[in-house]
Amino acid sequence: MKLIHKLEPLWWILFGAGGFVIGFVLPALILGVLLLGDSSVMSDGLSYPRALRLALHPLGKLFLIVVPTLGFWHCAHHVRHLMLDLFGHASAPLGAYGGYGLALLGTIATVSAVLAL
Amino acid sequence: MSAAHTRVEKTPTAPARKPSGFPLGFYRYRNYTLFAFTAIPMAISLAFLVAGVAALGRGEEAWTAWLAAQSSPALNALHIVCLLFTLYFAIRFGWVGRKIGAGRIGPVPPPPLPLPIMGVAPIGGFVTLWIVLLVILGGWLA
Repeated sequence: MKLIHKLEPLWWILFGAGGFVIGFVLPALILGVLLLGDSSVMSDGLSYPRALRLALHPLGKLFLIVVPTLGFWHCAHHVRHLMLDLFGHASAPLGAYGGYGLALLGTIATVSAVLAL
Repeated sequence: MSAAHTRVEKTPTAPARKPSGFPLGFYRYRNYTLFAFTAIPMAISLAFLVAGVAALGRGEEAWTAWLAAQSSPALNALHIVCLLFTLYFAIRFGWVGRKIGAGRIGPVPPPPLPLPIMGVAPIGGFVTLWIVLLVILGGWLA
């Protein structure tokens, strides 16, 4: 846990940046892609050729890497502190290593998915 | 032994304990816990979006199948729940922004506008960006 505490400023930067990114874009992504993606409202916008074109644009790639990655680290830090609040210090290693480990997995999955485009 | 080398005993303190009524017995604790809990549904949504990017990379058939799968009743319900938690997060996150300017050392100047109005600005910024992003995704201006 010593290293985790030493890196606290890093977790906080990722947490804050992730919070902003989520606030700025996640509601629109959930609504536009996950909820309406298969509807006629989005049928042109999210057709395969257009979705791929958006994703392959350098800004699109940057967006697709930054949003989930920072979002995952934000969520990991929040869950770590939620666990501390609810279950006390005994849960600290699980919250920290479990949460940040999952965020790292999410980061690897995100980068791999974008690089495979 | 000099005084500098004398080991100073820590003041005995009681072990840390949760505030009375934590986490759900008082509305401020409830809101705080709910705000922290939003991380879980938001992470679920992010995972679904990453799966979508992976499907996009596997070709048209996989992408269409992934989009179609999202509209199943069970996933639709899950996405609606996640959206509600995400909206709660975004609104509360923006609402806190109005207080950032108030934290400083020295005499506290009055905020340039009443605090409730200052809270509308970041939330208004969020909503504007959501609309812009939806327009881009939907290709509605093309």
